[in-house]
Amino acid sequence: MCDDFLAMTARILIIEDEALVAMELRFVLEDLGYEVVGIAAEARSARDLVRETDVDLALVDIHLSDGPTGVGLGRDLADEGVTVVFMTANPGMVRQGVKGALGVLSKPTDERAVEQAVEYALKRREGRPVEYAPPELQVFA
Amino acid sequence: MTTRTWNETERSAALHAYGILDTDREEAFDDIARLTAAICEAPIAVINLVDTDRQWFKAEVGLGVSSTPLESSFCRHVLLEQDWMEVRDATQDPRFSCNPLVTPETGIRFYAGVLLKTVAGLPLGTLCVLDTKARPDGLSPVQRQTLHTLAAQVMKLLELRAAVNGQRRADADRAGVEETLAHSEAKFRAIADSMPQMVWSTLPDGFHDYYNARWYEFTGVPPGSTDGEGWNNMFHPDDQERAWALWRQSLETGEPYEIEYRLRHRSGVYRWTLGRAMPIRDSQGRITRWFGTCTDIDELKRMERSKELLSHELSHRIKNIFAVVSALVALSAREYPEAKAFASSLRKRINALARAHEFVRPHTETSAPTVGSMTLHAFLEALFRPYSDGTGAPRVRIEGDDAVFDDQAATSVALLFHELATNAAKHGALSTQQGGVVLRTRRTEDRFVLEWDEQGGPPVPGEPQHTGFGTSLAAVSAQEQLGGRLERHWRPEGLKVVVDLPATALSRRRAALSAA
Repeated sequence: MCDDFLAMTARILIIEDEALVAMELRFVLEDLGYEVVGIAAEARSARDLVRETDVDLALVDIHLSDGPTGVGLGRDLADEGVTVVFMTANPGMVRQGVKGALGVLSKPTDERAVEQAVEYALKRREGRPVEYAPPELQVFA
Repeated sequence: MTTRTWNETERSAALHAYGILDTDREEAFDDIARLTAAICEAPIAVINLVDTDRQWFKAEVGLGVSSTPLESSFCRHVLLEQDWMEVRDATQDPRFSCNPLVTPETGIRFYAGVLLKTVAGLPLGTLCVLDTKARPDGLSPVQRQTLHTLAAQVMKLLELRAAVNGQRRADADRAGVEETLAHSEAKFRAIADSMPQMVWSTLPDGFHDYYNARWYEFTGVPPGSTDGEGWNNMFHPDDQERAWALWRQSLETGEPYEIEYRLRHRSGVYRWTLGRAMPIRDSQGRITRWFGTCTDIDELKRMERSKELLSHELSHRIKNIFAVVSALVALSAREYPEAKAFASSLRKRINALARAHEFVRPHTETSAPTVGSMTLHAFLEALFRPYSDGTGAPRVRIEGDDAVFDDQAATSVALLFHELATNAAKHGALSTQQGGVVLRTRRTEDRFVLEWDEQGGPPVPGEPQHTGFGTSLAAVSAQEQLGGRLERHWRPEGLKVVVDLPATALSRRRAALSAA
């Protein structure tokens, strides 16, 4: 169950180079009531989007079409005030954590994992109390 | 009579050690025999060396033979008994009256002999004079003194002669050794200069004093210019420090030296090189030299790098395919809302597969550490993570022997445990808050056994009537694919599943390779 308050204001950016995966993710988020402000396949268009629109949460894949640029991108987006959650098949790559980012979701995900992770991330963004992180989201210290 | 403190073996060995027996006449010894005869006014004087079965004369006057048997020897008695013996009239002496040398009309009547003995006291023979006329008064004091003095001189001569010969032999040996050394060094250089690798050698303190032809060809430096410590300058600046530290460590500990570094080629380019060295020790274990080689591994390194890139590419693609398939399933299901449950079930199975293959995809040295542990337990932990409780604590506890699994087993392992977990979540221990699962894995000599033990869940009514598709999937994976046995025990307190696999089932490819 998502919070209606959140659903109206939460703007989510998907940064993923595999078009079908991005498409499916968009459907899942929209079904949950969130607004997907855009899909970027590499770092430059992601940065352009953030400059043009307000983004609350970015789901960032580490490997993009321009190479493994996701980590640096995530760091930059976090600096701009975006809540960043990485999505990757090998979370080991960001095992030490990334400054400013919230955590990492292991791919492949399913709808429930995405739902829980997004809820948690937005709660943290709003400064609302959270007891535990969802099991599939590895939160950075 | 002196008591004998020596034995014949010792004595004979000492005599032979002088290397005097059966040698030619030498003037120094002949002079002594002549002088002795003259001063003692005797027709016969002998420098007599007594061997085990004969007596042999190094010098003699008046005899004309060089050796006589021991039986009729006067000297033998001297040897056995005392340092000095004088027989003034042999015909009156019971020891000699029947001696064949004495009995003839013109035989021996007088004998005077002084013992020749080594510093250690081993008797070798005598210096003696003989006469055919008896001498009731014996030798005069001066004659006696002369005999003793000249006997001592004979010993001195023997000692000196042996020393000089010993020295000459040592010199010849040394010359022989030096020649052998020179020969083997020439051989070494020939081998070293013909090897495709660079060869070098240092003193025990690390001072480089030899490089083979290949080194000078590669580096293009003038011969001798990299002696001492000049070698370090041939290394890439970024590698110099590291190489020094490692070399120093080897010098201190005597441990073999091994390092990969960039060496400057004569064209100015740096090439990756493998440097190795080993110490040579003497019989006391002290290091006398270091011998080392440098092998050009630039090609190898380049191939390694491209292999890594390829491997990276490959695994990225595999990962992507799974992600795309999973997304396609979900997207397709949107067209058929009635198939939502089917799509969800299928997607979960695919995701389990994807996760399993992440653990077996080809890894290189650089990508492996970032992934972390690639074992069965690590994979299962990841697989069961969605079933953790609210606090994030796992509800499937994994204990026992870990294992690695290869791509052939990955699908089966994934599906098997996915089904067990899904079922437990639907009907079993994972469907309630209090329930949990203990998964014990155990390796024996030729089996690998997994026990899935559900506890604390809803009471089990007994064996179900129909086996769901998931159950069949699990059974096929464990039995047909992995070649093991799967048994289900529907205990009232919870389901227990035992999967008994051959030890090689999880790594069949590796097992096949090692058997080959």
